[in-house]
Amino acid sequence: MHEIRVGEDLRGENERIAEENRRELAGRGIVSLNVMSAPGAGKTSLLLRTIPLLKGRYSVGVIEGDIQTTTDAERIATLGIPVYQIETGGVCHLDAGMVHSALHRLDLDAIDLLFIENVGNLVCPAEFDLGEDARVMLLSVAEGDDKPKKYPLMFRESRLLLLNKIDLLPHVSFDVAKARREAREINPALDIIEVSCTTGAGIDRWIEWIDGCVAASRRR
Amino acid sequence: MHEVSLMENLLAIVEKAAADQGGSPVNLVHLRIGEMAGVNADALRFAFEIMRKGTAAEGAELEIERVPLRVRCRRCGAEEHPRDFVFICGGCGGSDVEIIGGREMEVDYILVRDDATDAEAADA
Repeated sequence: MHEIRVGEDLRGENERIAEENRRELAGRGIVSLNVMSAPGAGKTSLLLRTIPLLKGRYSVGVIEGDIQTTTDAERIATLGIPVYQIETGGVCHLDAGMVHSALHRLDLDAIDLLFIENVGNLVCPAEFDLGEDARVMLLSVAEGDDKPKKYPLMFRESRLLLLNKIDLLPHVSFDVAKARREAREINPALDIIEVSCTTGAGIDRWIEWIDGCVAASRRR
Repeated sequence: MHEVSLMENLLAIVEKAAADQGGSPVNLVHLRIGEMAGVNADALRFAFEIMRKGTAAEGAELEIERVPLRVRCRRCGAEEHPRDFVFICGGCGGSDVEIIGGREMEVDYILVRDDATDAEAADA
């Protein structure tokens, strides 16, 4: 019997394809945001709220990820922008290969800002680089303020946390200060913006954040 | 649940490593899983049991080593195990700490059978 050193990461193949995606998107001048959250935190509602406000300044495209159904893509398609739906067929997250295929089904010449809406899940998507410029996560106040400690990897890997559904704060016991503090203990560089996709509160700050992210990505 | 797709990757990595050694049967796969890796060891074991058939790892044991989370402060250089996922340096209070261990999900090594010597050992 003898030992063979291997030292290979199980995510190695995903990393390789993610780098390909990153190069392709950068080469075309497309900035991409990977939007992640638990199911029902408001990812699609956020995009429906945001994209009309970006019209005229960015040519937006969307990749939708769901385990099943195409309803999210149909909702986004009402905005009259390029959208492609990935149905993962049971898989709990998007991976770089799925996004790679989706990129070739979108008219990339017609896009300079790409939102990739991940599968609703606070765990697995955090492990899989898609080749995006930045990861944005949503936490809705209805989910509870204990989530940073329970799902640290997602908070660690994100650049921006959108605390969504703040219009519900009077009705739920969500300690905003605690959630902010614990999220920043995990990721001191994390940006945090409080928003409501229902009332539109904070959406202007989120759009400023997108502008900053696009400008920084283009400088690179 | 993404342990099945990760196990496909593991088996491909093991197959390739074993093939590079002339296709000897694999006796053991040693996997390192970090404390902060988004993967469940029990689900991985389960996936290994059902997916190893017909691969080079069919007769192999899966050994999983847990790697604790370790961080290093970029300001003062202190290294520590962060308690409760608090990424603030215990030495200087700085917030610019990098993870240096605990995110692993890697095949560290495999043990393959040397047919001649192992057959002798079996005869003895």
